[in-house]
Amino acid sequence: METILIILALILLAFFGSPLFSIIGVISLIAFHSAQIDSSAVIVELYRLANTPTLIAIPFFTFAGYLLAESNSPKRIVALARALFGWIPGGLAVVALISCAIFTAFTGASGVTIIALGGLLYPILLKEKYPEKFSLGLMTTSGSLGLMFPPSLPIILYAVVAKISVDKLFVAGFIPGMFLLIILAIYSIQFGVKASVPKTKFDIANVLIAARDVAWEIPLPFLVIGGIYGGLFTVTEAAAVTAFYVLVVEVFIYKDLKLFKDIPKIMQESMVLVGAILIILGTALGLTNYLIDAEVPKQLFTIIGELITSKILFLILLNIFLLIVGMMMDIFSATIVVVPLIIPIALAYGVDPVHLGIIFLMNLEIGYVTPPVGLNLFIASYRFEKPITKIYTSTLPYIAIRLVVLVLVTYAPNLSLYLVRLLQIE
Amino acid sequence: MNFLERISNYIAFAEKGLIGTLLMVMILLAFLQVILRNIFSTGILWVDPLLRHMVLWICFIGASIATQKKKHINIDVFSRLLSNKSKSVVNIFTNIFAAGVSYALMNAAYKFLLDEKDAQTVILTISNFEIASWWIQIIIPIGFGLMIFRFLINAIYYLTEMLRYQKVVETH
Repeated sequence: METILIILALILLAFFGSPLFSIIGVISLIAFHSAQIDSSAVIVELYRLANTPTLIAIPFFTFAGYLLAESNSPKRIVALARALFGWIPGGLAVVALISCAIFTAFTGASGVTIIALGGLLYPILLKEKYPEKFSLGLMTTSGSLGLMFPPSLPIILYAVVAKISVDKLFVAGFIPGMFLLIILAIYSIQFGVKASVPKTKFDIANVLIAARDVAWEIPLPFLVIGGIYGGLFTVTEAAAVTAFYVLVVEVFIYKDLKLFKDIPKIMQESMVLVGAILIILGTALGLTNYLIDAEVPKQLFTIIGELITSKILFLILLNIFLLIVGMMMDIFSATIVVVPLIIPIALAYGVDPVHLGIIFLMNLEIGYVTPPVGLNLFIASYRFEKPITKIYTSTLPYIAIRLVVLVLVTYAPNLSLYLVRLLQIE
Repeated sequence: MNFLERISNYIAFAEKGLIGTLLMVMILLAFLQVILRNIFSTGILWVDPLLRHMVLWICFIGASIATQKKKHINIDVFSRLLSNKSKSVVNIFTNIFAAGVSYALMNAAYKFLLDEKDAQTVILTISNFEIASWWIQIIIPIGFGLMIFRFLINAIYYLTEMLRYQKVVETH
């Protein structure tokens, strides 16, 4: 009876907006207390934050992402993408998809893409006679595109929590991420043909001008992707090089940001996000360990295993569960809280942990734009000054496409695992 | 109230300076290490453990500023449905709750720190200078302490908000 009351109180506190770390912290403390372990053990586990080398990548990539978002690089990226792909029917929509994907990979899907790129691309889309509903949906859905590509923060965090190799996950995300991007591009192109939107002529001179403007930022994806995929850098090293490089380029070469005026503010803002993520991770480390010691996932599996006998049925239910989680929680806390519980269960059903990572991230990407409470819907409604119901209806076709891709990625594990095996990533 | 907020702002000023310095030093050290490792096939031994521990400091200072700026990550599904006044009431509760949990965690961290101090673990040596683990771990109880202070200030803030809404209702 007492336990049920405590659980109810905690659920209420969580749903009414208590900081997630305090909820997890109190559960850890209660759990250790009931197992008659001293409370300092919670901190022993929290201190593991300082013994996980991959975590160093998180402040670096977050800072680099914030720098890019505050500089004029979104403009430069869009200009180059337009010069390259503007001639395709529906080309501007393709431009939006590609720029958003690149941008989200670097900034992590925290709504920054909609704020930074949405404000830039949406007016251009309307000016070029793309229908309002199509454009709204496109920009809202693109805000979480690109999570599958390096150096996306959610992938790094998933790897840390699941204790699997980040390199493997980065490689595994490539085909599913590209696949989703291509399908969305095809949809946009056929829409562009049908609505007969105007296209620009391809002009090599324009490409060269745009490329010269963005010349210092072009190496970034190659540095990160090439460095990691090519085995030149570890993820942490790639993060350090990226942060250093972006800082130098934006401050000293483009002079978009001032060293003493803008940089301290950006540092503080980005580190507030890092602190907010890591404090949850820190308090959750103890709880996760406790749950595994108490064999909670195993007990969950015995209960679930009796009801769900096939792997297919398990995956279907997993997808539904994760979509709901993605709608209610942001991707970082969802990863920290949910992943340790589902990994042992998924393993018991024979799901590869790397494949599970891709399924997990794809679901949460969709969760961001799932009505009624997906976070990016509210950000888009705020940014584009449109009623939330209009945003709901505009995103529906995109959600449908993403669900189809999700089903394929879920039931064809080779989409995720083929490259990992081919490249023999360890 | 103003007095408390002023203290909080002074602390925030120091935190902002510290977190910026930490991040800048981390970037420079990590970049230097990459150059040393990949071009000169060498490296500085104490850089890696130092970087890992600086992440711990970033975590706690960042979390403390997040408390001041009310930017902690939460699952916020219900409070969108509430009126401004009931939202303030709910926020008083959640902030007091978070302060309580931070207090319990600070106590746990204090016990942890005493154990570590007794054990006299050295985590890194810069030339001949030995750094004991508890010097760096001290940020854990301090960080939770700062958060208690900020959560309580937040609770007081929402209390005044609630009273303000109350007044608005009464005058109408």
